[in-house]
Amino acid sequence: MTDALLAGELPLPPRPDYLRHGSTIASWLTTTDHKRIAILYAVTITFFFFLGGAAITAVRLELFQPNGWFLTSDSYNKLFSFHGIVMVWFFLVPSIPNTLGNFLLPLMIGAPDVAFPRLNLFSWYLTLAAGALTVYALLAGGVDTGWTFYTPYSSMFSNTHVFAAAAGVFVVGFASIATGVNFIATTHMLRAPGMTWFRLPLFVWAIYATSLIMVLATPVLAISLLLVIAERWLGLPIFDPSRGGDPVLFQHLFWFYSHPAVYIMVLPAMGVVSEIIPCFARRRIFGYDFMVYAMLAISGIGFFVWGHHMFVSGQSALASLVFSFLSFIIAVPSAIKVFNWTASLYRGQISFESPMLYALGFVGLFTTGGLSGLFLASIPVDIHVTDTYFVVAHFHYIMVGGSVSAFFAGLHFWWPKATGKLYPESWAKFAAILMYSGFNMTFLPQFFAGYLGMPRRYHTYPAEFQIYNVMSSAGAAVLAVAYLLPLGYLTWSLFYGGRAGNNPWEATGLEWTTTSPPPPKNFDWQPRVDREPYDYHAEGLSAGTDRPEVQNVREIQ
Amino acid sequence: MNENRPTAGRLWRKNIAIWGALLALLLLSLSLAYVPMGRLTTAAGIVIAATKSALVLLLFMELATSKSLIRLAAISGLVFVAAMFALTLSDVLTR
Amino acid sequence: MSDESAVLREPWLDFDRQREAAKFGIWVFLGSEALFFGALLMTYTVCRVEHPEAFAAAGRETNIWYGTINTAVLLTSSLSMAMASQAAESGMRFRRLVLGCLLATVLLGLAFIVIKGFEYKEDIDKHLVPGAGFALPQAGAQLFYGLYWLVTGVHAVHLSIGMVLVSRLFWMFYQRKLRISENPELEVTALYWHLVDIVWIFLYPLIYLPGRAS
Repeated sequence: MTDALLAGELPLPPRPDYLRHGSTIASWLTTTDHKRIAILYAVTITFFFFLGGAAITAVRLELFQPNGWFLTSDSYNKLFSFHGIVMVWFFLVPSIPNTLGNFLLPLMIGAPDVAFPRLNLFSWYLTLAAGALTVYALLAGGVDTGWTFYTPYSSMFSNTHVFAAAAGVFVVGFASIATGVNFIATTHMLRAPGMTWFRLPLFVWAIYATSLIMVLATPVLAISLLLVIAERWLGLPIFDPSRGGDPVLFQHLFWFYSHPAVYIMVLPAMGVVSEIIPCFARRRIFGYDFMVYAMLAISGIGFFVWGHHMFVSGQSALASLVFSFLSFIIAVPSAIKVFNWTASLYRGQISFESPMLYALGFVGLFTTGGLSGLFLASIPVDIHVTDTYFVVAHFHYIMVGGSVSAFFAGLHFWWPKATGKLYPESWAKFAAILMYSGFNMTFLPQFFAGYLGMPRRYHTYPAEFQIYNVMSSAGAAVLAVAYLLPLGYLTWSLFYGGRAGNNPWEATGLEWTTTSPPPPKNFDWQPRVDREPYDYHAEGLSAGTDRPEVQNVREIQ
Repeated sequence: MNENRPTAGRLWRKNIAIWGALLALLLLSLSLAYVPMGRLTTAAGIVIAATKSALVLLLFMELATSKSLIRLAAISGLVFVAAMFALTLSDVLTR
Repeated sequence: MSDESAVLREPWLDFDRQREAAKFGIWVFLGSEALFFGALLMTYTVCRVEHPEAFAAAGRETNIWYGTINTAVLLTSSLSMAMASQAAESGMRFRRLVLGCLLATVLLGLAFIVIKGFEYKEDIDKHLVPGAGFALPQAGAQLFYGLYWLVTGVHAVHLSIGMVLVSRLFWMFYQRKLRISENPELEVTALYWHLVDIVWIFLYPLIYLPGRAS
């Protein structure tokens, strides 16, 4: 890294990069360049993140008082439902796969684009159409079924805009399936010469495992919502008990998708963390092979545990036992990954740049959330804490403490690559630490409140829980600031940030061998791979202190 | 590239034979439906449908001569459908 | 090869690889369709397990002739689609055969829709639509017919999409705007069409055959 590079005084590349290659709006809206599509998605999910965040801000404000003070019960129900729907399907599911995954997958495997570029753009348009339907549902008066659309309330009794919301989720599901097909085909068919399966970066494996889930689980969600829509709109008696229907069947269909969906939300996060920790510890990842097997195990076994959401639904005892057992089993591969991330730090040359702060935060918060999941997998405990804030805290530790932290980690790590700009590191460190603190302030009290019996999705609560709610809402305010800060300084960096060189972090991986930002076809030469990933130091040494040998070495015209 | 190219006649013979088998199985399932065998009647219909599907998959869709990657993709869907049925029925049948 | 385009697209450098990827991609998509229809079939299965006699009584009311003939129609369309796809691998030699088989596939699909239309009309006349005035007394029978209308409707939508895809291919080949030999779009469309047929193969015993033996 020369000083000239660090000072941002780089010569301009000999050809336009992907951002400057075509500057009309039409060139953006008709692009098939995966990097531009990633940016389009990034803008979209940021919008939805703040929309879902606004909804829950209202909820947390309301919860300062045990009996509420500015919302009606109906509005309260609509706000938390909207928060869940938007955050799950319009932020978490597309966030890492469709922004970071879209941008990085071809770069990391040495390909010029994804396998089906036009399908990629179509996925984005489907997401927009779906988002429009969901926003319409909000503007027309909202939906109050919760993001889980349980029957028979959603199919027979709710007077809110279930159709529009369910239709929105139905459509975005197809965007998800299309993305999954695209990424699976890309990984199989477009790897550069020498890039064998076990030389792939773990982020690629993570996106691949996620895509398998997207393709196989999402259709069942589509059917579950189609059945609800058919019952409401056409009067078909699918879940109506008085006409022979079984409401619990909806839960089987819904959770068959929605449990693997949480792995869609967490596997890419694990992939991001697996890229960042080796870089900032200057060490190879510990146990690469088992990291791969663990991700595949999570994606596979994740399909067999959905009934742990249904222990109190009337599901049979036998089925509950089977699901409980399998839910304990699935903790094992996640634990293996946590051990391996930790072991990767041992004897490392650790530095605490902001991506590393977010990544280390992920490891701790994901572990906490995962351990609380074991409590929920145990049927006797779950009987007491189900539908309480214990569950809310559990999944927020994983989804927000885990996935959102990892999203910010990846956003910061690859920001110089994608934009060619450096963001102000001290602001980023401050935001990372603020986010970690605000997060714990918000969600740790919820474990206690839930354990002591405070139900979830209730507008009002007994006065004894107020202390926990006040702490949680105060923490949410801190968290909100922590989310707004990156919006500020990252935008600032686009205009005033220093120029980034090809490899500001001195990381391994093919994406760091091309310019920042990359050219439209990703590489100015044909990449060829002849070594393992994470080659931060020679075998037998501990941390590397010199520049690592990156994967791509040869120029082949 | 020109050797082993089939003639139109060979293509017709091969595919009409498969089609004939499919129609025969259809008529078989139709007639078996009227035979009172309790649960076996239902099972027969489904088994015959599975057989017809296997013929379409293996021969019309050429899975029998496809690369293993394609066959892996084909079977993955079925594996998870089976898991969905098995685990859901483990609830429904034991309530 | 006259003026037919070679269809190599980004990001592919090698046409065979592109074909392979298209074929792989559609099979992955068919995997998702297996779960899509699998979920519907599982809904049917759970409801039937919970209401066996009602499903038998309801199944008896379906028109077995329409159902069986339609199944035969779709099986024949799979024949013509397979012929078109296999003949196309040999390229220009079988141009008329490919065109004829594609046309036959579309017409058979249309025949299916027409017969289904007659069947739907008869079902409506017999008051087999769930809701007030439903013909059969058992609660589960309404469930059977709710699923019947929904599943056959979803199948019909898939079939219609298939017909549009096949018609487009027929037209593009006829106008010589697309090369026939080794065409990935034809391979992909053929596989999709066979899926639509397989779905119906499974629907047939579930809709038309219950309750016949009593």
